[in-house]
Amino acid sequence: MSNVIETAGLSKEYGNVYRVKDVDLLVPEGAIYGFLGPNGAGKSTTLKMVLGLAKPTAGEISVFGKRVNSKNRLENLKNVGSLIESPSYYGHLTGAENLQIFQTLRGVPKNNIDEVLKIVRLDNQKHKKVSQYSLGMKQRLGLASALLGYPKLLILDEPTNGLDPAGIQEMRELIQSLPQKFGMTVVVSSHLLSEIDQLATRVGIIREGELVYQDSLMKLHQYSQQHLAVRTMNNEVTKSFLSQNGVAWEAQDDYLIIPQMKDSMMAEISKVLGQNNIGLVRIEERKKSLEDIFLELTGTAVSL
Amino acid sequence: MREAIGMEALKTKGRKIWLVVAVMMGVQMLWAGWAISNKDANDLVQGWLFFLYQFPMLNCIIMPVIAAVVASRLCEVEHKGQTFKLLETIVPANRIFDAKFIWGSIYMFGAALGQVAIMIGMGLMLHFGGPVPWGALGGYLFFTLAVSLTIYAFQQVVSMLFANQMVPMTLGLVGGFIGLFSMFFPQGFQKFILWSYYGVLMQIGMNWDQNTRAIDFYWTAIDWSGFVLLFVFFGLIYGIGRILFVRREV
Repeated sequence: MSNVIETAGLSKEYGNVYRVKDVDLLVPEGAIYGFLGPNGAGKSTTLKMVLGLAKPTAGEISVFGKRVNSKNRLENLKNVGSLIESPSYYGHLTGAENLQIFQTLRGVPKNNIDEVLKIVRLDNQKHKKVSQYSLGMKQRLGLASALLGYPKLLILDEPTNGLDPAGIQEMRELIQSLPQKFGMTVVVSSHLLSEIDQLATRVGIIREGELVYQDSLMKLHQYSQQHLAVRTMNNEVTKSFLSQNGVAWEAQDDYLIIPQMKDSMMAEISKVLGQNNIGLVRIEERKKSLEDIFLELTGTAVSL
Repeated sequence: MREAIGMEALKTKGRKIWLVVAVMMGVQMLWAGWAISNKDANDLVQGWLFFLYQFPMLNCIIMPVIAAVVASRLCEVEHKGQTFKLLETIVPANRIFDAKFIWGSIYMFGAALGQVAIMIGMGLMLHFGGPVPWGALGGYLFFTLAVSLTIYAFQQVVSMLFANQMVPMTLGLVGGFIGLFSMFFPQGFQKFILWSYYGVLMQIGMNWDQNTRAIDFYWTAIDWSGFVLLFVFFGLIYGIGRILFVRREV
């Protein structure tokens, strides 16, 4: 599978502070890439650099396999739709007029206006002034603007920001439908783990400007699988016993973390340990939640 | 480019920008009417010269206000709706700047043309002496437009760079007043103040006899060196402003 976006050593320095540092983003074609990180972690800055709205201090960006520079930036962006931070709109114009501006400038067919308004379910509100739209409607209009040219890549920065739960759900369903319906690759950033968990197929986690995790969401979930934590009177001997019997272990404080196993097998281990005069004093079932993993990776609370 | 200019037109829908121009023209017409109302038949012989002298002076304050309001109204919508970050992923930033300037220039042209129309209308109505001085009025239109577009370029740069439109509006008003008061300073000094160029490029001079308290207007040579300097000002303001706009990050 080829990558739609590839960055290498992407960095952005403001003053003497790196807001983004050595980010190697890999967004595979057809994926919903969740770009996760606490507020101020560098998500928007990274996405702005991909879109050419901010100039990188260092590093390279490739979109659709072509290295982006100031000369070919707009040519490359013809197949990219974006919604950065908050929707862009002219409040004194109607939804349809707003889209007419972006449709004309993009040079795409006029029919697309009605089509995208239908996709975002704003077709009944298209003659209303945008200043009278709710925040959710403005976000949907922003998404409609991004969809106007049916781009191959859609970059959505915090698209559910400020929406109520119903609005979040609606936006999520919309985004989820895009890769299947139109074959789009979607990059969606958020500071909400739950949102990315429900939406993305691949995830990149950014912390203080550095990409600390990038892989499939499934792999991230694997980290959260159940484990057993055992504590014995002699953990050292227990370690060699476990190793001899092919049981993987990991020492953690006074505990040995071993994989989840059948009751019968655990009973057998307990029996053998007893026969060897090693007292088994604790057996605990532990599960690392996705939140714990996020916390470990970012060092911040789950939703900030 | 044509599309970008066309979209500027759509963006101004319902913004009532022409109303601003019309109101300012109304003010100028009322002033002209008042100024000419106490003139007798002898004075009206020099009616054309009187207008060609007085209008540029009033322009020192009228046109900068129009330029500030028009630029602000055109740019405010982009800041309010945070549209630059979307527009700049579709069209080059310099094209956005150029399209906005061209569209704004139409209002400035409209205002200058309106002034000429007021002069001709009132001149014909009040039977000013001699034929309509088409050449001088053409010159007035040309120089008024040259100065106004330079001021408009300045206003557009500031309006595009600052989200808070109080900054360009204040600068526009302060500039207008400086331009008006600079008339009391020597011409060499005036040439360093953008807003005083309506006076620098005036085609008419005035003699005021202290004893008889009589005013006499006369044709003067056009200050082409001032015009060249204005052109340089325009190039610098437009060029630097455009670079600043293109290079800034959104």
